[in-house]
Amino acid sequence: MVSGGRILIGMLGLDQHEVGAVTVARLLRDAGFEVVYTGRFNLPPVIVKTAGEESVDVIGLSCHSWEYLHYTDELLAGLAAAGLAIPVVLGGSVITAADRATLLAKGVAAAFGPGALPEDIIATMRRLVAAGVAPPP
Amino acid sequence: MSDAGAAPHGRETDSGLPLRPVYGPADAPAGDYAERLGDPGAYPFTRGRRPAGADGGWIQRELSGEGDSGRSNEQFRYLIAHGATGLDVIGDTPTMAWMDPDHPVSAPAVGTQGVSLCCLQDWLDLYDGLPLDRLTLSHSVPAPFAVAGLYLTARRRGVDPTLLRGSVVQAPFYCEDCGYATHMPFELRVRLAVDSIEFASRAMPRFHAFLEDTYYISDGGLDAVEEMALGFVEIRHLVRELVRRRVPVDRFAPRIAILVNFRMDFFEEIAKIRAARRLYARMMREEFGAADPRAWAVNIAAHTSGLTLTAQQPVNNVVRGATQALGLVLAGVQGIEVSTFDEAFRTPSPEGHLVAFRTQQVIALETGVTRVADPLGGSWYLESLTGRLEHRIREMIERIEAMGPPEGLCDGKWFRALFLDAMERRAHQLNAGRLVQVGVNAQQMPEAEDTLLRNVTERKIAPAAPRIERLRALRRERDAGLVAAALRAVCGAAEDRAAHLMPPLIAATEAGATIGEMAGALRAGYGRPPDPFGMVPLPW
Repeated sequence: MVSGGRILIGMLGLDQHEVGAVTVARLLRDAGFEVVYTGRFNLPPVIVKTAGEESVDVIGLSCHSWEYLHYTDELLAGLAAAGLAIPVVLGGSVITAADRATLLAKGVAAAFGPGALPEDIIATMRRLVAAGVAPPP
Repeated sequence: MSDAGAAPHGRETDSGLPLRPVYGPADAPAGDYAERLGDPGAYPFTRGRRPAGADGGWIQRELSGEGDSGRSNEQFRYLIAHGATGLDVIGDTPTMAWMDPDHPVSAPAVGTQGVSLCCLQDWLDLYDGLPLDRLTLSHSVPAPFAVAGLYLTARRRGVDPTLLRGSVVQAPFYCEDCGYATHMPFELRVRLAVDSIEFASRAMPRFHAFLEDTYYISDGGLDAVEEMALGFVEIRHLVRELVRRRVPVDRFAPRIAILVNFRMDFFEEIAKIRAARRLYARMMREEFGAADPRAWAVNIAAHTSGLTLTAQQPVNNVVRGATQALGLVLAGVQGIEVSTFDEAFRTPSPEGHLVAFRTQQVIALETGVTRVADPLGGSWYLESLTGRLEHRIREMIERIEAMGPPEGLCDGKWFRALFLDAMERRAHQLNAGRLVQVGVNAQQMPEAEDTLLRNVTERKIAPAAPRIERLRALRRERDAGLVAAALRAVCGAAEDRAAHLMPPLIAATEAGATIGEMAGALRAGYGRPPDPFGMVPLPW
């Protein structure tokens, strides 16, 4: 089967509520994506390094504590500094509608709060993968 | 006609027990009344651990702890002023992971999801001015640290530790899924549980240092049978370890308690609690040979379910909390905590706490449901459900124990797979409409109209940054030589697999060592790097 794109799924800081990340990773895998799963306890430099080494199309981070408020800016800055134009998607139970607006303003490509539909997550990932595929020279 | 008002459930319980449309005398389980049910307060305690005519009340408490100890102390006073009859304290993420707030990874999580506790001064500040001998103090904090902190706080305050009441959660098996100390090896986690239980059974004999937490098993999406089976497997392992240590079962068993969940399947959850009491009584008397009747009657406390709360239409969570709390009262539990309506987003706000207490108070003071002991006892349906659940729980315990030592099931990720599969199963059920949540996949509202109580859910707790500076000052002020010697003793005791870990942990806590340093010393004793992140050296 042809891969629908490579997605990094991981978590930041000490947040240990991993089931959301695993559920989304399985969902994307079943939808035809290749998933690079980094699991828990990552700091932004590790995410940036892994995303670069694994040539992922999208970075998806699971947030079930407010630590993402602290790490998002650092992560986006780290990606820019590394010259990696990889879209970042955040998703998690603590993200409210107001948070979503804040995150999009910061430069996050998409943010999913609780109750996000699987089909919306998959469609967003497909759109981001497609947008990032450069036309042949 | 829309089917929106019709019952969505098929004819089976959430754990998959098939149901008939109605139950009658033929469905009452076989067996003698005294052997199967017994009166309330009598073996096998199916109908409750309290005898009829005793006070039908319960400890009313709410999950609390935020910021530093001082802020949490103020929060406790607010809760007590509004009717709390006990406290339930949860540590923040670093505390639960045995990490210090000044660890580089901790900073954004300090005090945001619980209280930041790392040294004795934090315990002294946490309970400053509160009557330690008159409150029941429950803890979701690493158990040995909680026992040491509470014991030393009582002694400093001139309170006899034997008067302390309350509990601390023990979670050596399933910590992968609740976030407790995932970086401690299995053997060390079990040893810390056994040592803290043994110590408390002598030094704090009224305190429940053996609180089996099945709440988070259920809130991880596992069903009622899985919740209790996994809980019993953990209880049974710890009991066997304590007995192997020659701790008399009648000394520690009267202070075993189970913290269960109560989700939305009303009768199954009530039946689960009754089945658990009966299973426990038979296990303790017939299998472990306990002779003290108090060792047969397990104390059950409960939280209403955070998993069943929804971010959509948060006011609906008030109704869910009330429904679940009523079920818990009807099941005859000893302590209740209503997960607050805003818990889908955040740690409880003052408004959330207030609604949760008022929920408990309305049930206690207005409904009259406590006038009669075990008012549902004898219901054909409920007794049938209780019997069938007990049977299935027992079967699952036997199946798991036949699979070999629990260490292999933990380290081999067998338990972990159960949790991961359960959450995925739940997501599928919700998506397919087999599981219905009002506001989520029934009676949805446009986001713009879903504003009731929304303002509360948008408020956030900032990390307790000043605490980090204060901890650095504490580190400078303490006797460095004394702390280093105490930590070396912890490490030495950890290396000596026959040593008791509580005396050196209490001495280190008293000397001013922090939880992160003690975890480092314990890990070093097991040949692991002191800091799981490899960022902080051991201070000796």
